[in-house]
Amino acid sequence: MTGIRLAFNYLRIGIMNEFQYRANLYIQILQTFIALATGLIGLNLVFSQTTDLGGWSKAELLAVMGVFTIMGGVIRAAIQPNMERLMEEIREGTLDYALTKPADSQLLVSVREFRLWQIVDVVTGIVVLIVALTQLNWLVDFWSVFGFFSALAMGAVMIYCFWLIVTSTAFWFVRVHEIADLFVGLYAAGRWPVDIYPNWLRYGLTFLVPVAFAVTIPAQALTGRLSLQIWLGALALTIFFLIFARSIWRTGLKNYSGASS
Amino acid sequence: MKRYIDFYLTAMKMAVLEQWQYPVANYFYMIGMIAEPVIYMVVWSAVATQQGGSVGGYTPGAFAAYYIVWTLVRSMNVVFTPYGWEWRIRQGQLSMSLMRPIHPLHNDVAFFAGWKVVVIILWLPLALALSLFFKPDLHPTLLEGMVFFFAIWFAYLIRTMTLSMLGMVTFWTTRVSALFELYFAAELILSGRLVPLSLMPEWVQKVAWFFPFRWAFGYPIEVLVGNMPANELFIGLGIQLAWILFGVLVVNMIWKVAIRRFSAVGG
Amino acid sequence: MPSVISISKLAKHYQVPEREAGLKAAAKGLFKRTYKTVKAVDGISFDIQPGEVVGFLGPNGAGKTTTLKMLSGLLHPTSGELSVLGYEPAKRNHDYLRQITLVMGNRNQLSWDLPALDSFDLQRAIYGIPTDEFKRTRDEFIELLDLKELVQKPVRNLSLGERMKMEIVGALLHKPKILFLDEPTLGLDVTMQKRIRSFVAEYNKRYGATVLLTSHYMADVEALCKRVIVIHHGQLLFDGDLAALVQKFSAFKTVGFDIDNPNQDFSQYGDVVSIDGLHVVLRVPKDKTSAVTTRLLSDLAVDDLTVEATPIEDVIESVFSVKKEAME
Repeated sequence: MTGIRLAFNYLRIGIMNEFQYRANLYIQILQTFIALATGLIGLNLVFSQTTDLGGWSKAELLAVMGVFTIMGGVIRAAIQPNMERLMEEIREGTLDYALTKPADSQLLVSVREFRLWQIVDVVTGIVVLIVALTQLNWLVDFWSVFGFFSALAMGAVMIYCFWLIVTSTAFWFVRVHEIADLFVGLYAAGRWPVDIYPNWLRYGLTFLVPVAFAVTIPAQALTGRLSLQIWLGALALTIFFLIFARSIWRTGLKNYSGASS
Repeated sequence: MKRYIDFYLTAMKMAVLEQWQYPVANYFYMIGMIAEPVIYMVVWSAVATQQGGSVGGYTPGAFAAYYIVWTLVRSMNVVFTPYGWEWRIRQGQLSMSLMRPIHPLHNDVAFFAGWKVVVIILWLPLALALSLFFKPDLHPTLLEGMVFFFAIWFAYLIRTMTLSMLGMVTFWTTRVSALFELYFAAELILSGRLVPLSLMPEWVQKVAWFFPFRWAFGYPIEVLVGNMPANELFIGLGIQLAWILFGVLVVNMIWKVAIRRFSAVGG
Repeated sequence: MPSVISISKLAKHYQVPEREAGLKAAAKGLFKRTYKTVKAVDGISFDIQPGEVVGFLGPNGAGKTTTLKMLSGLLHPTSGELSVLGYEPAKRNHDYLRQITLVMGNRNQLSWDLPALDSFDLQRAIYGIPTDEFKRTRDEFIELLDLKELVQKPVRNLSLGERMKMEIVGALLHKPKILFLDEPTLGLDVTMQKRIRSFVAEYNKRYGATVLLTSHYMADVEALCKRVIVIHHGQLLFDGDLAALVQKFSAFKTVGFDIDNPNQDFSQYGDVVSIDGLHVVLRVPKDKTSAVTTRLLSDLAVDDLTVEATPIEDVIESVFSVKKEAME
C-alpha cells in the first residue's frame, strides 16, 4: 500500500529533521516537567480538601492525568502540526502541491508532519499512568487492557477527525486558526473526567469536541468503569466521525479545486 | 506633562479604533480564555458539593463569582509578552521607536490601555452569559466596585512592569524561553489564578506575599468577590501602587543598561 | 557657516566570535572563545553643510547603514568624533530626536488598520507639534503629494507606493532639519519614485533641510544629489561632485552599432557587452575611443554608430570593485 509506505517515509523525514533541533528536546522536557508539576499541584490541592471527586479517587485521577498527557503528546506530535500546516496551505493557496502527488490527498495532508520531541509527553504520561496503576493495585485483565488501547486508538482517531473537520472549514471560512486555538483551550478540560462537569458541558465535550473520548473513556477502561455499551458507542461514533470527516474533506476539496484562479 | 497626557489620549484613541475593527478576533480570544477558569470552577464546585456545600469558605456560588471576575482580571492583565520583546528587537521595530522623542514603553502602556477599554466593553455580555450558566454569588458594595475599578488598572500596570523586565532579558540573550516558562508557572501558582490563594497551604500564602503576582491577579478578584473591610481594600490599593512604583524604577534601570548594550551591538 | 553634520575618523568595530566547523574546533570553543574584529566602519570623516542633499553610495555591507545608524543615534561609535546639529547623537537627547527623522524603506510606522490621518495625529502628539502648525504642514504635504482621498483610507488598502508616500509624510510632519533616508524608493515603480524624489527636493527647497540619502537607484542620486559620498569596506572612497565621480572612475565608453554579420570576433576593437539581433555594443577604453571608431568605420560595414559615456551604474560598479587591499 503506497499510502502506508508514504506515511512511513514522512515519519522518517520528520524524525531526521527534528534531530537537527536538539535544543527543542530540552525545551520540551522543561515544558512537560512544568505541566506535570502544575498538574500534580492542582491534583494535590483538590485532594487536600476532599477524598473523592465525582466518584474518582486520587489515584484514579492520577491515571486520568497520565492518559491526558499521553494523548496530548500524540495530538501535538502527529495531529496538530499536520492540521496547522493544512490550514496555512489552504489560506495561502499552496495546497496544490499536495494535491498533485500520486496518493490520497487526505492521507497525505495528515501524515506530512511529525514532531518527534512531543514523545517526551507520551513517555511522561506512561510513567504517570504506571505510577497511578500501581497505587490502584490494578488487575491486568484482558478487558481493561484491550479496552484501554482500543479506546485510546478510537479517541485519537476521533480527535483527528474533529481537527480535520474544523480545518476543512478553512475552505469556506477565514477564521479557522482561532477555532483551532479554541480547541486547544478546550482540550485542557480533559484533565478531569467529564463526569464531574454539568450535563450540558459533558455533552459538548463528548459529542461536539470529543475530549471525553480522548481521555475519560480510556481512563474508564483502566479503572473498571468501561461498559460494553460505552465501548460500542465509542466505536459507532468513531466510524461516524471518520465518514463525516472524509465527506467534508472531499466537499471542501472540490470547492477549492473548482475555484482555483 | 501636558504633552504626555495628550499622547496617551491620542494613542489610546487609536488603539480603541484599531481593536474595534476586530470584535470577532477579540471574542474568539476571550472565549478561548474562559475554558481555563470554567474548568477550575467546575472542579472546585464539585469538591465543594462533595464536602457538604463549601470548601475553604467558598460555596459553588462563590467559586462561580471568583472565576467569572477572574475572566475580566485576566483580560486586563494581558500585556506585551517577553516573546514579543524578542520579536520586536529582531524585526527592527525597536529601532524605529527609539527614533521618537518619547520612551517606547509609553507606547506599550498607552496602546494596551486603549485596547483594554474595548476588552472591558466586549467582556460585559460574556460575563452575563457566564452568570446565567453558573449562577455566581456576587453582591459587591459600591465601595468595592470603585476600588475594583482602580485595582484592575493597577493590576494592568503591575504586570506591564514585570513582563517588561522579563522581556528586556532578550537584549542580552535570546535563549530564554525556559526562563519565561518557569516564570509563568510560578505566576500560575502564586497569583490566585489557579485557585483562590486562601485555599493554598499556609506556607504558599506566605511566599506569595513576596511576589507581585497576587497583586496583579488575586487581589483585584478578592476586592469584588470577597468581603474585605474598607481599610484592607485601601491598604491593598496602596500595596499595588508600591509595586508599580518599584516596577517603574527597576524597569528604568534595566532599560538604561539594555539600551547601552543595544546601541553597542546593534539591532 | 558651521557644518550641521561633522564626522571625524568615525569607526564602528564589532567583535564577532569565530566559529569553525568540525568537532575539534567546537570542543576548543568550549574553553577558549576567539573573537574576530569586523570593521563595519573604519575611520571615515566628512562635513555636511545645512541644506545639502548628499547621496550615500556603496554596496551592501559597505557601512552606509551603520554610518546612518550612528548619525541617528541608534548605534554607539567605537571611536572617532560625531556631531550632528551640535548634539552627540548617541545621547539621544529628546530635543535632538525632534529635529531629525529616519526613514527606512521597509519599516512602517503607520497603523495598518486605520487611515493615515489618524497616524498623523499620533505623530503630532509624539512630537508635541502645536495644532495649527501641524494642520498647516499636514495639509501642505497632502497637497504636494496629491493624497487627499487616500489619507482617509485604511493604510492596509493602499498600494505599496501610496503607503510609502504616507510614511514619508508622517516622517516629516514635525519639520525635521535633518533627513536620513535609507532606500526610500525601494520596490516602487518609476512614477512613484519620481513623485517621492520631487517631494524630497521640494521639502529641501522650502525648509532648507539637510538630506542624507542612501539608494540603490542611481536615478535617485542623479536627480537629488549634487554631492555623493562613496563608502566601501567601511572606508571613504570618494567625496565630491557626482560629475567628478563619473569623470574619475569611468575609464570606458560604450560604442554601439548595427552590422549585417554580428557573429564575428570583435575582440580587437573592444570587449563585447551585448549582441542583440544585429545590434552590437562594445566597451572601449576612453583614450582609445576615437581610434576604435575610426577602424570600425573603415574595416566593417557598420550602421548607426554611437558613442556614449558609461552609464553611471557601471561606473559605480567599477568603483565598488576596487579591492579592499587596493585601499590600504
